[in-house]
Amino acid sequence: MISREEVQHLATLARLELSDKEIESLQKDMSGILEYVGQVSAVAGAGEGGKKPMPKLHNVMREDALREENDPLAGKEKSLREAFPKEKDGFNVVRKIIQKDE
Amino acid sequence: MNSGLNNLSITSAAKKLAAKEISAVDIARACLTEIEKRNPSLNAYLEVFDDVEAQAKAADARRAQGEKNTLLGIPMAMKDNILIEGRKVSAASKILQGYTASYDATVVRKLKEAGGIFLGRTNLDEFAMGGSTENSAFSVTKNPHDERRVAGGSSGGSAAALSAGMALGAFGTDTGGSVREPSSFCGLVGLKPTYGGVSRFGVIALGSSLDQVGPFARSVADVEILFNTLRGQDPLDSTSIDLGAYPQKKLTKKLGVPRKLFEKGVDADVLESFNASLKKLEGQGYTLVDVEIPGAALALAVYYIIMPAEASTNLARYDGVRWGVRHEGKTLFEDYAKTRGEGFGPEVRRRIMLGTYVLSSGYYDAYYGKATEARAQLSREVGAALEKCDAIISPTAPCPATKIGEKSDPLSMYLMDIFTVTANLTGNPAISIPGNPVSREGKELPVGVHLTAAHGNESTLFAIGRDLEAK
Repeated sequence: MISREEVQHLATLARLELSDKEIESLQKDMSGILEYVGQVSAVAGAGEGGKKPMPKLHNVMREDALREENDPLAGKEKSLREAFPKEKDGFNVVRKIIQKDE
Repeated sequence: MNSGLNNLSITSAAKKLAAKEISAVDIARACLTEIEKRNPSLNAYLEVFDDVEAQAKAADARRAQGEKNTLLGIPMAMKDNILIEGRKVSAASKILQGYTASYDATVVRKLKEAGGIFLGRTNLDEFAMGGSTENSAFSVTKNPHDERRVAGGSSGGSAAALSAGMALGAFGTDTGGSVREPSSFCGLVGLKPTYGGVSRFGVIALGSSLDQVGPFARSVADVEILFNTLRGQDPLDSTSIDLGAYPQKKLTKKLGVPRKLFEKGVDADVLESFNASLKKLEGQGYTLVDVEIPGAALALAVYYIIMPAEASTNLARYDGVRWGVRHEGKTLFEDYAKTRGEGFGPEVRRRIMLGTYVLSSGYYDAYYGKATEARAQLSREVGAALEKCDAIISPTAPCPATKIGEKSDPLSMYLMDIFTVTANLTGNPAISIPGNPVSREGKELPVGVHLTAAHGNESTLFAIGRDLEAK
């Protein structure tokens, strides 16, 4: 079973605050699910073509140009501002991110 | 007494509208009357829009001006993870509380141009994570065929709304079966298009290599109309493609049956219903061929690595900075952890944790790496199977709609997706079409037949589907 510390470490990486009770139930749930999905380790990779990447994958680029028409966000500044969790004078209020580690 | 217009197919409603026998306002009122009657107990709609009649009037005015679109004046339900400008959108999560969409999803823009009417936004499992809507932050959606049972998920609200006559068409998203499984549970036709076939711009992401928007309808013909309205490449979604670029295969009337996959784990009467559907198709000149897709036995394990990995990445954007809810702590870290810990529900937190695990250093190769290899293998096997037949046929789900609360263990819930996840992993188009119902505790419950075709060959699914639904 996954340890309590391991679950806590993952929660820190994922930026999730979890209660003690939830950590406990996650230890159980995650262990069960990981055991099930761990089946992939036994089968995949062996034999012909196992290391081949997904077929037909390629990156799609677009021209680095200003969208002059069909810009879905044109004129939507107001509604984007209204979505801010905390707003002051039209600005998004956020916490200072350069600070000493506490 | 309701006029019954709410139970029309899109095809027949469009004919009546074109002949001016009825107006869009008549149909919209019929749907609203049914919503008033049934939504309080079914909980299919999270919000019914207050301007439905005004939208219908506008559609009637467009028709009076000479417009002739099939969807002009057809009222539809939209899953609440697809953005409609000026409307709230919640993804059935508390973390998006108070959020209003700033723009239209491309699919919404296309439906508006076609003259479709939006009745409201429908319930789902939070961020589309689940197969029953029991993971919604706003309570479960009940199955119109038996209210003790779930409507399926994650697009359960859309399925229940349509199935109960509260809309003429509906839309969902399908990451691992979220359109097809509720279609099976509610007796509807539901399509997961080819990966890239429909734009995802303005659709809240779950697993970006898996997600597709798909329509629900009462008939194959209706689904075809909705799909043709949605499809097409979109400059705003770089993963969208023109499906016409795929080779179009000629129908040979051969169906591939991967028998081994459902030897175990499928309810006896569901299998009986499936066999009856096969017989029916044989009677219509189809030949059954055995196909083997050994990798499909692993598909669910692959899926439950790839999907949480992508979900944990996609959901990193919900940090309380730009939209939705922010819970403040003492430090920036605490702001994030509190916002996400309190804003996300238990299943979303579980999948973020799983995704973080399989992507973390030391485990990446054993889980995500292996899953990617197994996925490529699965694609090759499905491709090879489809060389021998027009489509692969199976049950959509191993059972009919389950009882609310019945699947409390997360893994047993995940097993419901066993037949649907493969098409998402390989990008193939797939459809669920009602077969013979089964009986549980004196109630008739719908069961779906599942078909998978080659990339870009939705027309194959529609052709077989029409034969399957023929009386």
